[in-house]
Amino acid sequence: MKRFIVLFALVVAFALLVACAAPTPEPTKPPAPAPTTAPAQPTAAPAQPTKAPEATKPPAPTTAPAATVAPTQPPAPARTAKGGIRKSTSGYKGTLNLWVLGYTPGNAFANPFDNAVSQFMVDNPDIKVDITGYPPNDEGFAKLTAALQSGQGIDLLRMASDRLPQYVAEDLVEAIDPYLTADDKADILSNVLDVTRLKDGKAWSWPLWVVPMGIYVNKDVFAEAKVDLPPQNWTWEQFVDVAKKTTFKRANGEQVYGFSGYIDPGVVNTWGLWMNEDPSVRPVNKDGKFGFNHAAAYKGLQRFADLALVHKVTPPDFGSQKDADVKGGFTNKQYAMIVDATGPAAQFVAAKVNFEIYPHPTVNGNKLTVGAVGLIGVAKMKDNVKRQAAMDLGRYLTSSEVQADVPPGSNVPTGFYLAPGARKSVKIVAPLDKFIPMLPDMWVTPLMVNWAPLTRLIHPEYQNIIFGKIKPEDSMKKIAPEADKLISGK
Amino acid sequence: MTAIREFFRKYGWSYLFILPSMTTFFVFVFFPVVWSFVISFQKYSIARGGMWMDPFYANYIQAFTMLQGIFVTAIRNTVVYTLFTVTTNIFVGLILASLIQPLSHRLRTFFRAAYYLPAVTSAIIVGMTWAYIFNGQWGFANYLLRLVGLAPLRWLSDPDIALVSVTLSAMLTIPATAVVLYSAAMGGIPTEFYEAAELDGATGIRKWWHITVPLIKSTTLYLVVLYTIASFEVFERIYIMVPSGVGNSTQTIVTQIYNNGFKDFNFGVASAQAFVLFLIIASIAVFQFRFLRSDVEY
Repeated sequence: MKRFIVLFALVVAFALLVACAAPTPEPTKPPAPAPTTAPAQPTAAPAQPTKAPEATKPPAPTTAPAATVAPTQPPAPARTAKGGIRKSTSGYKGTLNLWVLGYTPGNAFANPFDNAVSQFMVDNPDIKVDITGYPPNDEGFAKLTAALQSGQGIDLLRMASDRLPQYVAEDLVEAIDPYLTADDKADILSNVLDVTRLKDGKAWSWPLWVVPMGIYVNKDVFAEAKVDLPPQNWTWEQFVDVAKKTTFKRANGEQVYGFSGYIDPGVVNTWGLWMNEDPSVRPVNKDGKFGFNHAAAYKGLQRFADLALVHKVTPPDFGSQKDADVKGGFTNKQYAMIVDATGPAAQFVAAKVNFEIYPHPTVNGNKLTVGAVGLIGVAKMKDNVKRQAAMDLGRYLTSSEVQADVPPGSNVPTGFYLAPGARKSVKIVAPLDKFIPMLPDMWVTPLMVNWAPLTRLIHPEYQNIIFGKIKPEDSMKKIAPEADKLISGK
Repeated sequence: MTAIREFFRKYGWSYLFILPSMTTFFVFVFFPVVWSFVISFQKYSIARGGMWMDPFYANYIQAFTMLQGIFVTAIRNTVVYTLFTVTTNIFVGLILASLIQPLSHRLRTFFRAAYYLPAVTSAIIVGMTWAYIFNGQWGFANYLLRLVGLAPLRWLSDPDIALVSVTLSAMLTIPATAVVLYSAAMGGIPTEFYEAAELDGATGIRKWWHITVPLIKSTTLYLVVLYTIASFEVFERIYIMVPSGVGNSTQTIVTQIYNNGFKDFNFGVASAQAFVLFLIIASIAVFQFRFLRSDVEY
């Protein structure tokens, strides 16, 4: 017993020593964790065929009068029933399980849905809506898919468009056509609804929002570097110029970099910055062949890689940086510019980052951004009454009414919508309105067979080009035969 | 028949005691292993079940040829990682255990506990810590390089270095299990051997090399097998330190299984790769048992 007491005392003493030890010196301040993140960027779609690999035509811009963001506004008062499309006509009594991408209680993706669902439940006292969050990563999607396949505990799901093909192919989601009213058809942007038409010409989800990539510019860093903000219609040369000027060392030795972005097999955040070299630079061309193995693609890729290799405006780990480090570096004023989707805008507003949103710089006069569509799907179910209730909730969560019910406030800086809505009637607020002009030039990731393996094939080559280990020409030529096979569905 | 009945009448009740653990083993280990072997010959979907491949070994062909033959690169990376980490872990464990062995009982117990502390730390925390240390922009490793006037390295973003960095992180982590097991094994060696050696004029190093090391050979075998299996299954460290990869330089066998199974939902190819991993580990274990087994008894 005595030995144990002595041992315990030694362990406690050791722990105290460790706890009291002086902090390890560090050369510069590491970026604090980014605000709770739930990126809205498109993710790599799991393989399953449904539709021809074809880039979807970008949606038309929605009207969006800029409203003032009021982050300090107090929470909304107690809710009262408002009726209209909030009221389900199903007569369903019971629980609906809603799965939300990126939802963690209290974060930027949770608060809008919590508020919206609470309004829906006030209007439908017999319906209880339980929200389950799933992270925007492989574990999250595996969990979601398993739930859909088991048919248990999931009735609606918020997802990115590139996830839809697998669920349609495996008959895991319901078509919404029978539930689309004339008002819905008139209001939903037809080209966005077409994105969900994957099998038998049916629409397989409620379109929620359109998620383009933009360039986030940290105005404080620009001011610190005494660099004027560039014009919104900037060119690649202007982009490189300001990136160089905002790459500097602070008096305390801290290095600031002009540009960064998240590069991963699951996202296409940075692709727009080199795909804009020429309209022919697309992963899948109109002839159904791999479209990165020609001169314009090589030129665009090399131009992008030169940001790191020649201009040296990117952090040392650019190409393999974690998403949180990219966002954290921008928040902490260590990066002057990053490329990202619409989702972080609300987080940066909440974190009081002084920023501006820019479209991608033009190259040879080409305007382009890349992105995906956010959707609300309804899981396959046999209960007609419950299905009707789920459809009613899906319609409400993609409506303009939900934005009216969840206006910009203390915990929802941009209101319910975190990206331009998929309906003409949805009014989004600043700073998201800056994404509106980008929509006509948006390329949507193709909903195709083998998109995930294709991105896994491209990604290591893309990284090696950025690291300067291989020339774009050698790299893309090497993978082209296998890419063609994947695109053709073999 | 009567003998069997008699056996169960006499001993049958005792099988009830092992029933819970055997049930768990069959449901959660044996059945999944057999099932994954079956799936390795199928195109499998959770919703639709499996369809046999034609030819039946097609998943095995695909496992080695898909995505520019990345699985072969992954095997090579895993072997390199295993060679360095297992060798270092065994060596460091042996040295540390030898250094604390002459200490008093209380001090020995303290050091065993202290060395074991990292083993109870979450692999996620360890991986994140190393990722911070090797961060190219503000990591501690580059800070040390700058202190001695060397240029910083892109530890986790240079394909020529990234695997070395990940391997180094594993090599620099104290092998807690090895220290504790070696220490226990050394404590079990009869002191008469050392006394006899001292009478013959043997020094400390000679005693260690000719008595201690041979007599703990069975522990060495056990640890080599244990660490080899663990190294071949490396995943968390890679996944945390370089989640987006560094070219293909940090791909390992299990990251490939994970990518195929849970990114592409290609369970057939993932199962085939898992079975290849099983064959590799089993072959190495048999080889290690054959050449390292000890007949020493004391």
